[in-house]
Amino acid sequence: MSKAATADHASDDNYLTNTKGIMSWIVTLDHKRIGLMYLIGVMVSFAIGGTLALILRAHLYNPQGSFLSNDAYNQVFTLHGAVMIFLFIIPSIPAALGNFLVPVMLGAKDVAFPRLNLSSFYLWCAGAVFFLFALCTTGLDTGWTFYTPYSTTTSTSVIAATTGVFILGFSSIFTGLNFIVTVNTMRPPGMTWFKMPLFLWAIYSTAVIQVLATPVLGITLLLLICERLMHIGIFDPAFNGDPVAFQHFFWFYSHPAVYIMILPAFGVISELMSVHSHKSIFGYRFIALSSIAIALLSFLVWGHHMFTSGMSEITTIIFSALTFTVSVPSAIKVFNWLATMYKGSISLTTPMCYALAFMFLFTIGGLTGLFLGTLTTDLHLHDTYFVVSHFHYVMMGGTLVAFLGGLFHWWPKMTGKMFNETWGRISAAIVFIGFNLTFLPQFVLGSRGMPRRYASYDPEFTGLHRMSTVGAFTLGFGLLVALIVLLHSLYRGKKAPRNPWGGATLEWRCSSPPPYYNFERPPVVGNPYYFGDLEYDAKSDDYVFTEPDREVVPQKLEPAPQHVDSKKDA
Amino acid sequence: MQTLQNLSFVLADVSDGFWFPKTASNFGTEVDFMYKAILWISVAFFVPMMIYMGWAAFKFSKPKGTKAEGKATHNTALELAWSVGPCFLLIWMFYRGSVGYLDMREPPSDAREVQVTAQKWSWLFDYGSGIMNPELHVVKDQPTKLVMRSKDVLHAMYIPAFRVKRDIVPGRYNILWFTPTIATDSLTDEEMQWKSDDPAEAGNILNQGKYFDFFCAEYCGKDHSNMQGKVVVHETQDDYDLWLESANRRPDDQTPEQYGEFLYTTRGCKGCHSADGTAGQCPTFLNSFGAEHEMTDGSKVAVDENYIRESILNPKAKVVKGYPPVMPSFQGQFNDDQIDSVIAYIKSLKK
Repeated sequence: MSKAATADHASDDNYLTNTKGIMSWIVTLDHKRIGLMYLIGVMVSFAIGGTLALILRAHLYNPQGSFLSNDAYNQVFTLHGAVMIFLFIIPSIPAALGNFLVPVMLGAKDVAFPRLNLSSFYLWCAGAVFFLFALCTTGLDTGWTFYTPYSTTTSTSVIAATTGVFILGFSSIFTGLNFIVTVNTMRPPGMTWFKMPLFLWAIYSTAVIQVLATPVLGITLLLLICERLMHIGIFDPAFNGDPVAFQHFFWFYSHPAVYIMILPAFGVISELMSVHSHKSIFGYRFIALSSIAIALLSFLVWGHHMFTSGMSEITTIIFSALTFTVSVPSAIKVFNWLATMYKGSISLTTPMCYALAFMFLFTIGGLTGLFLGTLTTDLHLHDTYFVVSHFHYVMMGGTLVAFLGGLFHWWPKMTGKMFNETWGRISAAIVFIGFNLTFLPQFVLGSRGMPRRYASYDPEFTGLHRMSTVGAFTLGFGLLVALIVLLHSLYRGKKAPRNPWGGATLEWRCSSPPPYYNFERPPVVGNPYYFGDLEYDAKSDDYVFTEPDREVVPQKLEPAPQHVDSKKDA
Repeated sequence: MQTLQNLSFVLADVSDGFWFPKTASNFGTEVDFMYKAILWISVAFFVPMMIYMGWAAFKFSKPKGTKAEGKATHNTALELAWSVGPCFLLIWMFYRGSVGYLDMREPPSDAREVQVTAQKWSWLFDYGSGIMNPELHVVKDQPTKLVMRSKDVLHAMYIPAFRVKRDIVPGRYNILWFTPTIATDSLTDEEMQWKSDDPAEAGNILNQGKYFDFFCAEYCGKDHSNMQGKVVVHETQDDYDLWLESANRRPDDQTPEQYGEFLYTTRGCKGCHSADGTAGQCPTFLNSFGAEHEMTDGSKVAVDENYIRESILNPKAKVVKGYPPVMPSFQGQFNDDQIDSVIAYIKSLKK
């Protein structure tokens, strides 16, 4: 019969245990530890941003508002947006999961620039400190968009917050640069571009956007700080500046940033759909190239945030046309994922449940984008709850749910522990229901004319707002369940096998959790979506790589296993 | 496409009132049609996709370790079909949306102009001849063009019933136009009822007269959410003229002092002249009546009715020493009764 893969040599000495003490974490250059520290950081940020969201929804339970003053409301929604975007979503998948996975998926021992990687994490921390500073001093009430001239005239901590974003921008650039170099130079022999896992394609496209777009944000925020301090007269009409110029600058980064947020999620879903269907991803090339297409097109559509701002008619129409083009590659991906399920062998595991929830939510997010790309309807829906709901479906229903799916998927690999599947699925169900209950009513609120960023509202909107508030707390509860499931696994979880889901990418060929150098010896690169040589072993609850029986057996040489054994003996 | 249009109009009638406030302008039909067309196109994609996904998740769900029966990794023809196919629908949306948008951007040459000033956190509509009011009054079937400017930060004019929105950017004029198609007086109580779940609140609104809401849609700071107002659509030009006349007249239940204070706050006096003694760009009104001021030419003038009237109508004639001659003339913007009311208000400011 077939031969099982080599035994788990390094299971008793992994990256979590190979060195001890707080300093071994603080100054670590190990991409896996940095990824884990990032993971903790983004989860804490998410908890803060999520609490702020619940405060907002609780306040909006009543038409006149429940307990916040207008000023407090404005600060809470600003910080909710800024924390979620700059501290959570942008680093969530690339910096936390990406850091952990990119080298492992490449069969490499680390990223190209480990020190740059660590400095990226500390820049992220420094940026977060500036946010905390803004939060604890006079707050910030400009909205996460920092639109001028409001941001140049308000008395709140605009400079602290923009400095924070500026620093976070560099953290993001460092991560992106690192991944571009890593993917370009460290692919193992045999892994051509079109044999890379789709997660790497997604991370690579994201990194391209991060490196090209983020400097524009940096320069914009520097100009904003200059305008505030020195009145250089670029954005503030009181000094002959143009506020619309700020919007162009800002969205030139911030629209591509939307794809920095969603592209890695596409990568995660490509992995999840294929692995948990135990079937090759459908249309690999279309998915891979659509990631690149999205990365390029994302630079050409920023004007659709400004259809009502007073751009010329022709500019507006061109941006509308370009906006529609970006919907095509996204649709291609969704169709391909659905086709992947066809005639598969689907395991409805927790990660798969999150992936299916993603498909539902992201499709709604994408389709509602059509209403906003069409000019006539956009003029009615712009700056209403419809937009709020649309981007939450994309960013939260999309990125966050994919992040959770990815987290559950790679959790056994990262921690070496299995979580409780039943409760994991229950958390996915509660999150799914809570999410829809929160944001479906907001589409109706928006088309009925409820403007966004309102601390109070007209009584006719009360019913829908209350549904949304109830949904938000359900969603919060679901996320809490997910967190408890993960934390519980750390203490009570079964030991994770090497390959609990039956994935064919390289990270499933090292032990769970991986050893410090990831692989004992360079793994053999194959098709990342070929599942034919994976057999389920019920005894160890593991999927093992097999080799087909051969008519002609090669002469016994086997230098490699001996090498490993001798090393262990020594 | 014609079939689609007919279909969604049928459906539009069914679901009107769920998705939108009542359509009340020339643009409403087109915007609502596009919304519903995209909605049904989206539903036509979304529902089969999700039914398929649910079916596949159920049908192909297998015990652990089962091999997938399908081996397909791609199908170029199929993939090209679903990549290119939806593009035709996208092109149609883009085309129709852009044509409709161009219509919304070109006001007819005979449109009535209303000057709009937005500031933190109030609106002022200038109807010409010095008539200014925080409510927007328009006439049914008469194209109206708003020429909008902001005194401070970004704002946006949003009238959901008319399906129009335009940012108001400091430093430039932004234009918005529409033709109202429904007079607010003609709204039935039922049509107004959606304004509130609470009957008491609805009655309150009805007593104030019927109107459409307009909102500031671009975040502008502390009281952004209070920066809303009423659009009143008059059935005929005569109704409008009647309102215009009353808008320029002291209401019967107000004293001249009260009306003077109203004018002081709504007509821009407040921006420069304080009423509480605070030093500003111009002399304060507090205790000013009866006082003697030194003018720029050295002469002394006692502030009396004649001086105030002259300062309103011809402000540059006698300028108080130490202040720049910046006040604009209100000639033709205030009638005699209004000037009297302002004088009465200034007289009342004594401490």
